Amino acid sequence: MYSSIAEFIKEANETGKSLSDLMIEQEMDHSKRSYEDIWKQMERNLDTMQAAVERSVMGDGVMSSTGLTGGDAVKIKKYREKGNTLSGDRIMHGVQDALGTNEVNAAMGVICATPTAGASGTLPGVLFPIAEQLKLSREQMVRFLFTSSLFGMVVANNAMIAGAMGGCQAEVGSASAMAAAAAVEAAGGTPDQSEIAFGIAMGNLLGLVCDPVAGLVEIPCVKRNAIGAGNALIAADMALAGIENKIPADEVVEAMRKVGRSMPRELRETGLGGLAGTPTGENIKMKIFGQSL
Amino acid sequence: MSSVAELKVEKKEKKVMNFKSCFNVIGPVMIGPSSSHTAGAIEIGKLANKLFQGKPTHALVKYYESFAETHKGHGTDFAIASGILGFETDDARVPAALDIAKEENIDIQFVEMSGDSPVHHANTACITLSNDEREIHVTGISVGGGTIEVKYIEIEGFVLEPQGTLPVLLVITKNEILKKQIETLLGDNGIKINQMTEYQNGETFLYQFDLDSPPSDKIKDDIYHVKKDSKIILL
Repeated sequence: MYSSIAEFIKEANETGKSLSDLMIEQEMDHSKRSYEDIWKQMERNLDTMQAAVERSVMGDGVMSSTGLTGGDAVKIKKYREKGNTLSGDRIMHGVQDALGTNEVNAAMGVICATPTAGASGTLPGVLFPIAEQLKLSREQMVRFLFTSSLFGMVVANNAMIAGAMGGCQAEVGSASAMAAAAAVEAAGGTPDQSEIAFGIAMGNLLGLVCDPVAGLVEIPCVKRNAIGAGNALIAADMALAGIENKIPADEVVEAMRKVGRSMPRELRETGLGGLAGTPTGENIKMKIFGQSL
Repeated sequence: MSSVAELKVEKKEKKVMNFKSCFNVIGPVMIGPSSSHTAGAIEIGKLANKLFQGKPTHALVKYYESFAETHKGHGTDFAIASGILGFETDDARVPAALDIAKEENIDIQFVEMSGDSPVHHANTACITLSNDEREIHVTGISVGGGTIEVKYIEIEGFVLEPQGTLPVLLVITKNEILKKQIETLLGDNGIKINQMTEYQNGETFLYQFDLDSPPSDKIKDDIYHVKKDSKIILL
């Protein structure tokens, strides 16, 4: 099993195999399951992601039971239709899908955790806009998920992917970096460029705190996924343009781990610090849970 | 000098690889809102369900740290209940699990503990399941993305502290021969045993196999088939 990003990038360069193929081979070797079986499971994940995105813009959209989040993906959809967005339609498509997925998540709908539920909008917010632009086949979309997971496994094993352990940099930060790396492969970039995109994306989100208001995966989680998707698209473009990242991806992961370890507990998904600790955040908590919390 | 060097090498090799499958990172398909607090909590509940083997009448769930602070908002309560009922992470009944448990006469009590986790992790839940006949205890931690570790088990008078990572195969038996049989079965099918721990309580043995990878359904069937009046539990 690959224990570092450098290891599988080297393997890809030496063998000429794609990163997605390396992930599938590792999965077959470890789980003793067939190629077909593994492929089908990843297709099901893709279907789940697609269904969540579609559900999010049906009618007035979905609302969470608290009423704190929901309906924003629909607003972005209508806004895009006017055709005059500041950051461009590709990015806003990503924002729509990222918001939408997390709105479904907050409403306790069915989603695919990528790598976590709180960060489940970031990958769709990159995959679906680039699939439209690059006219990706279904096969390429499934490969995007395998490549993302190859990077994600190294992060999960060497650092962390839970907000309670390392802040939101471990959730949206990891998701953004995974998506950036996979976007590069989907766009025809090299494995080295995938590594660079990964490093840029994660480096830019270092220190991101996990501060859910009232402890709910709503504020700021839903909007933060939109930023994660935008960050990934920009990082992928930078790498494809030939920009280098001076710090190797594995060292960025290690830096993320150390930052996460040194974060105070108030900023690690306890719902105490950051936005959760603002007067308004406290008021929301009181309104929802009363005095008991 | 050499012993220090050896120690370092050993430490490096023992690095925990919790996430062994791409589906730990892309997946699970689940009911929101939190993979650590909802999907992971379901998995911890499922540990208790598997260990208890049957329907309990009482469940006591103690939450620590992040679980204690945020379980209400994350749906952790119905997630744990879902696991105790044996539901999967994407089961549509998950949000209704507390009501379903009530209908099935399972009394579930949740307690927010104020101190540090007994196993030093932000997302810790300790579950006790009981009925008139028996009682089990299990402590699980949720490490992200729906992946969990099992840190502490009490079953049939045995107290275990597994390495944490799953899968873990438990064989409780009076028949010592089973140890060799299971070892052979796993070995023949290419399942690596990371560690085997043996416990004895009177005439009863408990063999704890910490496995490197989950056995396929076919191998699982073969393992359960070895029974001979024994309890075989794959966590």
